[in-house]
Amino acid sequence: MKHRSTYVFLSGVLIALGAGWAGFPYAIYESRPQPVDFSHKVHTGAGGMKCDDCHQLRPDGTFAGIPRLEKCAGCHAAAMGSTAEEKQFIDGYVTPKREVAWSVYARQPGNVYFPHGAHVKQAGLSCERCHGKHGQTETLRPYQEDRISGYSRDIWRGLTMGDCVACHEQHGIGQQGCLDCHK
Amino acid sequence: MRKTTRRDIFKFAAGSAAGLVFTPAPWRLITDTALWSENWPGIPRPARGQTRTRFTHCALCSAGCAVRARCVNDQPVSLSGLAGSPLCAFGLAGHQLPYHTGRVKTGAIEEALAAIAQRRSHDAVAVLDLRPGRTASWTYRRAMAALPRGFYLAAQSAIPAVNLDQVRTLLSFGAPVLDGWGTPSTVLAARSHFRLIQAEPLESHTAMLADLWLPLRKGSEQALALGIAHVLMQEQNAGASFPAEATAYSPARTAQLTGLPEAQIVSVARELAPGGALVLASQEWPEILQLNRLLGSVAHTIVGRRETPVPASWKKAAPVTAIEAVPDGSIGVLLIDESVCDGYLPWNAIEPKLAPAPLVVTFASSRAGYGRYARFTLPTAVYPEMTDDIPPALDSAAATFRLATPLVAAPAGAVEPARFIAQLAGLPPADALRERTDAIQSSGRGVLRTYADGKSIPVKGVKPDDFWKVLNEGGCWVDAPDPVEPPASACQSSSAAVVAMTWEMRLARGPMSPLLSKLYEESNLRVRL
Amino acid sequence: MTGKRYGMSIDIDRCTGCGACMVACAVENNVPPAPEGATDRKGITWMRVFPVDNGRDGPDRKSVFVPMLCQQCGQDAPCVSVCPQQAVQVDPATGIVGQMPERCLGCRYCMAACPYHARYFNWWDPAWPAGMEKTLNPNVAPRMRGVVEKCNFCHGRWHAAKERAVGRGAREIDPADYVPACVEACPTAAIRFGDLNDPRSPVAQAAQQSGSFRLLEKLGTEPKIYYHSAREWVREIGRAPAGKEQVHG
Repeated sequence: MKHRSTYVFLSGVLIALGAGWAGFPYAIYESRPQPVDFSHKVHTGAGGMKCDDCHQLRPDGTFAGIPRLEKCAGCHAAAMGSTAEEKQFIDGYVTPKREVAWSVYARQPGNVYFPHGAHVKQAGLSCERCHGKHGQTETLRPYQEDRISGYSRDIWRGLTMGDCVACHEQHGIGQQGCLDCHK
Repeated sequence: MRKTTRRDIFKFAAGSAAGLVFTPAPWRLITDTALWSENWPGIPRPARGQTRTRFTHCALCSAGCAVRARCVNDQPVSLSGLAGSPLCAFGLAGHQLPYHTGRVKTGAIEEALAAIAQRRSHDAVAVLDLRPGRTASWTYRRAMAALPRGFYLAAQSAIPAVNLDQVRTLLSFGAPVLDGWGTPSTVLAARSHFRLIQAEPLESHTAMLADLWLPLRKGSEQALALGIAHVLMQEQNAGASFPAEATAYSPARTAQLTGLPEAQIVSVARELAPGGALVLASQEWPEILQLNRLLGSVAHTIVGRRETPVPASWKKAAPVTAIEAVPDGSIGVLLIDESVCDGYLPWNAIEPKLAPAPLVVTFASSRAGYGRYARFTLPTAVYPEMTDDIPPALDSAAATFRLATPLVAAPAGAVEPARFIAQLAGLPPADALRERTDAIQSSGRGVLRTYADGKSIPVKGVKPDDFWKVLNEGGCWVDAPDPVEPPASACQSSSAAVVAMTWEMRLARGPMSPLLSKLYEESNLRVRL
Repeated sequence: MTGKRYGMSIDIDRCTGCGACMVACAVENNVPPAPEGATDRKGITWMRVFPVDNGRDGPDRKSVFVPMLCQQCGQDAPCVSVCPQQAVQVDPATGIVGQMPERCLGCRYCMAACPYHARYFNWWDPAWPAGMEKTLNPNVAPRMRGVVEKCNFCHGRWHAAKERAVGRGAREIDPADYVPACVEACPTAAIRFGDLNDPRSPVAQAAQQSGSFRLLEKLGTEPKIYYHSAREWVREIGRAPAGKEQVHG
């Protein structure tokens, strides 16, 4: 067969391209479901709650992040609705007083210092600016973690250092020292 | 169809490699590897959470400094003192002690109980308390009174207080006055108004910082004390209480023995004006106490202190027995509370008092102390896991009551020595600390100080529950300033007050944070040969 | 932007060599206890207290303690100019010389360049005895093996002070909120901290005081740590006249 070796070479190229573009992005992440199927929409929609009703800034200016069980139990000491998820949550966590091991999609690595207060309270950014429409989601998608670095996949969806710097430059907050955002 | 050849495989591999370069995979793997090098499992990640401030008292020594703890999710991550009351290097790393690698975490508690039960009916039982003056000490004394033959042994005799406010000249024979003696804040506050003369062969930290350093010959401390007494007796004609041997120590002879200039010995003696002098030492030399008497320090710079009130029902307690007073070969069961330590009795003083095949049980967090002589070492909580009170500090003329409350939970197997010994003697189960605070509150004496707001209020208007709450959440009780004349016994025992534990002695007695040992090893700050 | 120039004043005459600053620093900045066999060259001490004497013996002998840390040089810090990775930076907003472990290559040029020996290399992964990692300060990330680190004026506390200011709704931090751990721990208040650009700050005043000096001033590194001693021989050692200083351990 003529050009046989060319075909063999090209098939190698094609398979590598396919694996690299289609297979690799899936293979690099490890997926795991969230422990509780939480619906933001139920809370922000019909519930009429705002983001900072649960995700608060503490009086010392630090951000509380995902609320602890205590906060959830404030409303859900007993079932408020009739869904199976809520019942599971109350039986599995609220009653035995077990903290939920949430995986945080937007969790920055340990060497990053990100003050929510300066961005939200001082600069007046909306939560959606970085977190998108997370507040309107009906279910929690599986958490995807990079198998090598251990970073959340969401970091690569607009939360990398390049994204931080781009936004700061766009708003004329350049000339930052490294230790302004690293600890 | 031809068979697949080696050449085909190489072609395919080369094609794959060429193709891979045009995918994100290799570039992402490079980035990921770099990120992994910052996050690999060898690097611990500090826990996140809410920061809270809590207060307690440092139980590492009897200074009992107030502690402000920064806690993240109820775990202390750093300790600091309050304004005007700093912590020492020991105290600053205190929150790391529960994780010491040499810590004893388990012990044969049931076996120890059974062994004690077997011996206690026909043998004398003794408790050795390494920090007398606590509420637990009272529990031990009550427990020993409840047993047919019980002895309460204390590592230190009752200590009168040192009133640094009155000191104008401080002569120290190797005592680490500025390096771990007394309460740091009190010593440093008083430092501006006393002249410090340090007589020590080596240039210790205190010698470096003293106003005058007398580098005398090793072992000639007593000679210098006698030489100074000689000058004082000659010049002030006040030497009634001093032994005749001082007359043999003329300045010339003392200079010969100590290696110090004769004129310096005379001038040091003249500086020690009666009334404002205090003499301290690193060992119990009788000459030091005599020098203090000669200078009129007793009842002036060495003063008595009122006792912190105790419930009336506790007065039926065993007396403090000096180890010398215990009959030889009599103690069958020796229980040692090593959970806190301010002093110790050398084993060669204890050993002759023990019956044949003695049962020695020590309550400790490490085997560094008496553990090597003990049949059982029962694990205890360490600071800052323990609940204990701290006796008044050496340099506090007023009585005080301070609680060390737990910042972290003690391990499951930990024993509370006071509870263990109270149960052993069949004392009624009760919260002794609460009974004691109620007694203090009902005495109506003194003030209650709250650390969170820095306020002091008279005890008279405080309810018992509030009193207890403040003491637990960060506060202390300070007696009304009413210095009483020291009892006659204080003059006998005041030698203990003028003996200061050195760093080396402290380090030999208990574990310290690995961080602290690392820093001192690497910085050669403590290694001075 | 309000330019700050943070600096420190250290009164050598007040230092008792207790080591509280070293311990507080290591606790605050998650410096691990080094493994067995670490020496004074391989261990990490952002803050280290040196006993220094006048080189004489007998009654003429005089000794002092000198706390040494990164001297936070000015714009021309030697470590900045030699770094091939731009991992060292003098922050224009605070004047703090910052070290970025993530950028650091581990070449240690900066350690060779630093005239104060204030930089330390991570020869090992940071390891704490089992359980002690629970006591780590969440405001500071532990560094990995193979990078250089040094004092950064407790930068985690600067972050916390800024957050507290935001919590209060203020634009400027309260100077009382930003105090490095060594300054807070010093029992004799020998170490003080503040903004050298603010003439009212105690540090700016201490810098002008007579008896104030900076280490190896003639090198022109413009350190922001001002030492003070009333004794001439101490100041002489700090300025390091050629071949005269003696440091004993």
